[in-house]
Formats: sequence, C-alpha cells, structure tokens
Amino acid sequence: MVVGFALAPFMWVILSGFLPEVAILTVPPEWFRSGLIVDNYRYILTGEIPRAHEVGGQLRRMISEEVRHVPRAALNSSVVAGAVLLLNWLLGVPAAYAYARLRFPGRVATFYFITVSRLIPAVALAIPYFLIVQRLGLLDRHFALILIHTALTIPFTVLILVLYFRSIPVEIEESAQLDGASRWAILRKVMLPLALPSLVGAGLFAFMLSYSEFLFALLVTTSEYSRTLPVTLSSVASNPDVSWSLLSAGTTLAVLPALILVWPIWRYMVRGLVSGSLN
Amino acid sequence: MIGGAVAIVAVFTLYPVGYALIGSLYNLSPILPRSFAGLMNFSHIFGSQYFGFALKTTAVFALLTVPAIVVLGLLVALLLDRRFRGDGFVKVAILLPWTIPAATGGVMWKGVFADSWGALNGTLYQLGLIREYISWLTDPTLAVAATTVAQVWAQFPLAAVLLLAAMQAIPDELYEAAAIDGASGLRRFAAVTFPHIRPMLIVVILFELLLALTAFDLIFAMTGGGPGTATTVLSYFIWSESFKMLSFGRGMALAVIIAGMAVILIAGLLRFMPRGALLEEVPR
Repeated sequence: MVVGFALAPFMWVILSGFLPEVAILTVPPEWFRSGLIVDNYRYILTGEIPRAHEVGGQLRRMISEEVRHVPRAALNSSVVAGAVLLLNWLLGVPAAYAYARLRFPGRVATFYFITVSRLIPAVALAIPYFLIVQRLGLLDRHFALILIHTALTIPFTVLILVLYFRSIPVEIEESAQLDGASRWAILRKVMLPLALPSLVGAGLFAFMLSYSEFLFALLVTTSEYSRTLPVTLSSVASNPDVSWSLLSAGTTLAVLPALILVWPIWRYMVRGLVSGSLN
Repeated sequence: MIGGAVAIVAVFTLYPVGYALIGSLYNLSPILPRSFAGLMNFSHIFGSQYFGFALKTTAVFALLTVPAIVVLGLLVALLLDRRFRGDGFVKVAILLPWTIPAATGGVMWKGVFADSWGALNGTLYQLGLIREYISWLTDPTLAVAATTVAQVWAQFPLAAVLLLAAMQAIPDELYEAAAIDGASGLRRFAAVTFPHIRPMLIVVILFELLLALTAFDLIFAMTGGGPGTATTVLSYFIWSESFKMLSFGRGMALAVIIAGMAVILIAGLLRFMPRGALLEEVPR
C-alpha cells in the first residue's frame, strides 16, 4: 500500500502523457478506452501540434507553448548540476579528508559551521542572494546558480565523505606513510579508490539536489533560455489553462533522470550512509 | 582546499545573513529610493493580519505533516528492517518521491487533485463514490489537506531511510536476548528498538519540523498559496511580500524572523545529536 502511495502520482503522470487531451477532460474520463498516443512528446520535441488539439469542439484545446522549453530546460539543469558535481568533488574531497584525518585549528568549529549552515531556511537567504547576484551583473547566468548550488550541496558531500573516510582503518594509511608516500599521494592512491562508492554516491546526491533545486533557480534565471527544469515546469503548470496531457509528457521527461538514478543512489549513497553510521 | 569548502559556504551564508539583518532595517525596493526604517518593517509585520494568518497556516501545516511523516516513516522502516521477497524493489520504489524535485512533485500532485480533470476525481467518479467532482484545490480546507498529502509523500522516504539506518545499527544479540526472554513483537519494539532509535527519531522530528516551517517549492507549484491565502505559509508570504509587493526590506525582516525560529530548532537538533556522531577526535 505504501508502494502504491509512493508510485501512484508517477503512474498517473506517465499515463496521461500518452493520452489525448480529450480523454482526460471528458466526464467520466476515458483513460483506458481512448488508446495511447505519442503526439504530446512529438509536440515537445518537434513542435508538431497534436491531432487531439486540432479538432475543434466544446472542449478546451489549449496548447501550452511553454512546454516546448522543457528539453532546453533539461539541458540547462544538466549543465548546472554537472558543474556542481565536479566542484563538489574538487572542494569536498580534500576538505572531508582533512576533517577525517588531520588536526588543524578550528577543525570542530568549521565542521559544525559547514554542516549546520545547510539548515538555515533557503527563503531567508533568497532576497540577499537576489540582490547580490543582481549587483554583480550575474542575473540570468548559470555561473551564479552553479556557485549557489555548490554552497548548498557541499555540506552534504563533506558529511557523507567524512563518515566514510572515518570507517577506513588508519593502519592502511600508516603502512603507505611508512613507504614514504605524501598525504596527497595517500589520498589519491589509497583513499579515493577505497571510497569510490561513497564518492559516486555523494556526487550523485549533489547532482540530484542541484537538478531539482527550485527557489534560487527561480530567482537567478530570468529568461526561458537559462531557466532550469523545475522552474520551467512550475511556470507551465501555473497557467490555469494548461494542457495536462502536454504537461504530463513534459513532467515525465523531467523525472526520467530520477527514475534512472534512483537505483544507483540507493546503492551508493543511502547504503553508504547506513553502513557509514554503523562504524 | 579545506579553505575552499569553508570559504564558499561562508561567503554564501554569513554574508547574506548579515545582508538580511541590515536590509531588514531599511525601506528597500527596486522602484523607490532607499531610506532607513528602523524597526518599522518588524512592527508592520507583527501588526499585519496576513502575518498572523500565515503563521497559523504554517503551524497547522507543520502539525499535520510532521506526525504523519514520522509515523509513516517509522512503519516503513520497521517493514524494511527485515528481509523479504522483493524488498529491494520496495526500497527503491519508496525512495522515488524523495529523489524528484519538490516543485515537480507539486506539479504531479496538482494533476492528482485538480478540480476538473484530476486523477482522484476521475477515479472516485468511476467507482461511483461521488456524483460531482470535488473542488480539492479551490476549497480552502481541502487545499490544505491536499498539500499535506503531497508533503507527506515527498518527505516520508527520508524519514524511513534515516530510521532504518538507526535500526540496522542495533546489534542482533539484543533481539536474540529479547526472543529468549519470550518478548512479543510489540514488547521487543518498546524494549529494544525504540530506546536505540530515539536519538534519530528526535533528529528526524526536528528536521521535518524545520522543513515544514520553510516549505516553499511544493506549495508554490501546487497551489501558489491559494485559494485566496489558504495555503500561504510563511515562506510563501516572504516570497509574495518581496517579489510581488516588491518590498524587499519587509521581506528581509520576515526572513530574519523565520531564520530566528530556525536557529532555535537547529540548537535543539544539535543538543539531541549523539556526541561524536559526526566528528570524533582524530586518532594519533
């Protein structure tokens, strides 16, 4: 039953993406009698208007033109999220290693600062971010969004990796140290291969968070050319005359990465977190 | 390099927070000249009936969602704590709602509850349970219920995963000992499971409370704060003050108020976190 609750909205969205608009709007609806079509997807990808929308009649035939921005928005989201993932590895790995293994002044204080920073409500930061980005002239640029998302995701990356590095026995490193390897060499040659699963997990998690982040993307990306997926979709949906079949097709395209990534996320991230906290 | 991570987080938290604190004392707007306002923004907010209403809506939202999320998450975690056929599939299926954007989840639930073409109305009608479509999203009370269902859907996976992690850290010997003593399932839960997951349970409750108090994406996509102001929670209120009314100063004063409430919750969270859970002393 819980599985049904979790999956029902997905099934409905996926189904209605393949239905002609009329089948959804008639009372009672004809979900299973009308047959499945791919016109909605064709419209999003090529601009060819679905047949169901060409037929006139009492039923509303709104075309939601905005939905055609979905592929572009998906690309934008992927570019931003990809850059965020790389920055997370670049900055997060050395930081996590240092927190797990080195002594340095301010270690505990800065660690708590990083982890707790993420708990400040995003809306409280929204206006300052907007004004700062505006003053720097970075509005509508992906660069600003990438930096903001990196700041939002890096605490999770550091936390996940610290938990994992901690679980690797110190003796492995000590023997490498006896062989004369430097800290950097140990990190690169010994720790990273061992931590690969949680590295992948943390990276995917950062990717997902950035891919799905809404508030700051809404603030920073103002034109449809730079908008990310969540922003475009909610903008389509907020139109009261939206065509639900088209919107569903767009939403299905939008959740596809999640549907594909959920299995690796469970394997590498959630399991890593579960076993990491064991030790 | 550690510097890098700390610096980017610091630049993107301390500076904006300071900015908000100072900005809340000014009349700030993109269309008017800026002027010092003192505590006027705050007194205006506390005097406004909309603030009281948004506060009440947020409290109701939190009181409805948090217990439901925690109970459902706990039940699911208990279910997944033992092996059974297809448990891998169940785990992945249950994780799905949490992996998609909250804004997208809001859009999906809008499709379920929509008044004239939603899946719920269609299904109930086909089953003969209703004769006329119900206005789920245009009736103020029902709209709150609908957003509650969507929030529970979006958040229970995380609660389940965190509680499951805590349960799997319990040594099997304790359960074996309880079984030898002849303890029943319920008794085992009360005597072994519950005491061990209590810290995590508190963390989950406080975290979900924080999320409920600052919920934005889902409500923005699903109801846009409406009908009227029925689902205008505090964070949405900040949004509309700032970007619809274009009163940035007042928006920041509101943000400061919310951040203050969050800091209290965070302090609670940290107190209940088991010591050394995140960062132990460095060996050597």
